[in-house]
Amino acid sequence: MYHLSPPRARTGAALVAMLAVWTAVGHGQLSPAPTAKAMIQEAALPPIDRGLRDQDAPRAARTRDDADRVRSSEGSILPYVRGSIIVKFKDDATRGAITASTAQVSGTIADRTSWADFDIVDIPADLNPETASAVMRLRPDVEYAQPRYRNHAMARPNDTLYGSQWNFPAIDMERAWDIQPGATPDIIVAVLDSGMAFRSGTVRYNSRFAFRLTPGGPLYPALGQVDVPFAAAPELGPSGSPRFVAPRDFIWNDDLPVDLDGHGTHVAGTVGQLTNNNAGVAGMAYNVRLMPVKVIQALWDEIFSSPFEGTDDVVARGVRYAADNGAKVINMSIGREEGGPATAVTDAIRYAISRGVFVAVASGNTRADGNQQNRLAQPAPDIAGMVAVAAVGRTLDVAFYSTTAAYVELSAPGGDQRQGGVSAGILQQTLDLDLLETYARPVSQYRPPRADSFAYEFFQGTSMATPHVSGFAALLMQQGITSPAAIEAAMKQFSTDRGTAGRDDFYGVGLINPRATLRGLGLAR
Amino acid sequence: MSALTMTRHLATAFTAMALIASVGATSAQAQSKPRPRSVSARPSPGIAIGGYGMFGRISFTAAESFDAIVGGPAGPIRGGGARIGLGLGGWFFDVGAWRFEGEGERVFVFGNEVIPLGIPVEVKVTPIEISGGWQFRFRRLPKLIPYAAGGITSMYYRETSEFSTSLENTDAFFNGYHLLGGAEYKITRWLGVAGEAAWTTIPDAIGESGVSAAFNETDLGGTTFRFKITIGR
Repeated sequence: MYHLSPPRARTGAALVAMLAVWTAVGHGQLSPAPTAKAMIQEAALPPIDRGLRDQDAPRAARTRDDADRVRSSEGSILPYVRGSIIVKFKDDATRGAITASTAQVSGTIADRTSWADFDIVDIPADLNPETASAVMRLRPDVEYAQPRYRNHAMARPNDTLYGSQWNFPAIDMERAWDIQPGATPDIIVAVLDSGMAFRSGTVRYNSRFAFRLTPGGPLYPALGQVDVPFAAAPELGPSGSPRFVAPRDFIWNDDLPVDLDGHGTHVAGTVGQLTNNNAGVAGMAYNVRLMPVKVIQALWDEIFSSPFEGTDDVVARGVRYAADNGAKVINMSIGREEGGPATAVTDAIRYAISRGVFVAVASGNTRADGNQQNRLAQPAPDIAGMVAVAAVGRTLDVAFYSTTAAYVELSAPGGDQRQGGVSAGILQQTLDLDLLETYARPVSQYRPPRADSFAYEFFQGTSMATPHVSGFAALLMQQGITSPAAIEAAMKQFSTDRGTAGRDDFYGVGLINPRATLRGLGLAR
Repeated sequence: MSALTMTRHLATAFTAMALIASVGATSAQAQSKPRPRSVSARPSPGIAIGGYGMFGRISFTAAESFDAIVGGPAGPIRGGGARIGLGLGGWFFDVGAWRFEGEGERVFVFGNEVIPLGIPVEVKVTPIEISGGWQFRFRRLPKLIPYAAGGITSMYYRETSEFSTSLENTDAFFNGYHLLGGAEYKITRWLGVAGEAAWTTIPDAIGESGVSAAFNETDLGGTTFRFKITIGR
């Protein structure tokens, strides 16, 4: 049951405050009312899976620019190599018979390669290898003939939507997983973000104030007490699973970091989405444990008057909390452009690194919008074990939004929907935005959110690039490189240079190369 | 390299050096005597052919690289060859080959720290040595035959590791040269034993990448100490 907010809320509505987006009015400050969040039910209905949302409009990379909707025109890759086929001639085949057979397909026998008891027959490039093979199989002197079908690493995940995750093949992850298949639960990755869909239940919030999203925009009414069902994202793990460790919410100051935004859940998916489970999508380090640490608020948190915001002190506390509770990697797909240096956060990061924690921070999404620097990422070059991450798109060129700065150290796939449309984003399972972001609808359809419905969404941003690096760090730790400084050095040493030779402000040292890094060095190579 | 390994290595080196030194000392003493003709290269009666098997130990010049990958800068070798006395004074011609095999794991080098990555790697070093040299003969010690030689080395180097493609493995020959010296003791007319030390250099064979680049080591050669069992005159 919902009810309208009291007069105090209407007073608050007059004091519309503008943050990154125009959000709730004077939350908390106008009223010392008790925290408007209460867990009222442990159990909940099973989560809803609304599937792949590849027809949705591109979701902005937390920039003010809208992404273009350019559809990729790429054709599918042939399953075989053109211009040649494999032929095994019978042992008693005469040279003349072989010549006559190959002539049927205008072919010539190439030099036999080592470790082969068959021949490679070169055929005209415009001749379909399937057809040529069929012709050859009819010859009495041919034992078998077949196209040269392409194979792939067996570590290719069997997740049903993996084919839409261009980002993993782009950094050679399939061969990297051959070497280090997803790390182990010994490694804990803390995701400092908007929360995470890590458990199920129902939580009661209080929407006490009306608000406007934009100055002069429609007034969204207070909803009163609302019960919000939430659930663990099926592709992250079941509710109550030991996969999730030490959850903490610094926005609501409790241990229930419910994601009311979808950002944190998406980021967590790239770090450690369940993989090879014949469902959904894959993640970088799919066996690690995840630590949900909520240090930034979603719009809904503001609407519900959360007692804290994602200020530097809150973020710094989150960093220290993660370091003190066993995290080995901290992912910070967060930041701010305004204000001065983030000294408190920097100190906390140094503390975390001193405890053996590697930290990855997004470089920012402002290049198309003034290119302001992310204050949280700025210290990265001076701190060994902390990396600032830029984003590349499907073409591996720097993404249109990716902030360029002297502090950029590495780049990773973050998606670029201006080059390739919606599917050029990074696909992960997250909260179903249709049922979550009801404030994006007309006022008449505005209603409480649901955080128990999930979909596969393409996001773009350095927020999406950063968890690639965090997951990569987890794999390296599992492989034996445990020092944060050594992890950073290894990532840089084996990265693939992009842009101008050497380090630059677009890509940093280069694009991460997990396979080469995990392989390390031999004696001569 | 561990202290124990170092100690063993030094012990091996000193033993071989002592053997060579003793041979050299014998030669020097003989030369200081008033009858210098008592030490002479006695002409061989004709072409003499013999073969040998050998085992020993190599200390690689690229010590840090081998230490990082196979766990030590030195390791055992085994091989064999043939020697032909040319019948021209003490001149002889020798063709020999040996092999070093090491197993270890790929690593990451961070500063002075070598971090193993658990990826198996196998290193095989197989030099073919073609030498020409001189055998010394002493009338008073007819069974002891010191010798010195030098020649060219063709080093076959193979490095394979798990998860590597054929292009990422190394499978190549490199050329260099060597100097060696030793002494053979004839137990019987046809059977003997020998101790030998050799120094080999294979410049610029490694060092472009891998840990050898990290350690700025480019020479695939090293110093070997070998024990031989010889058959033939």
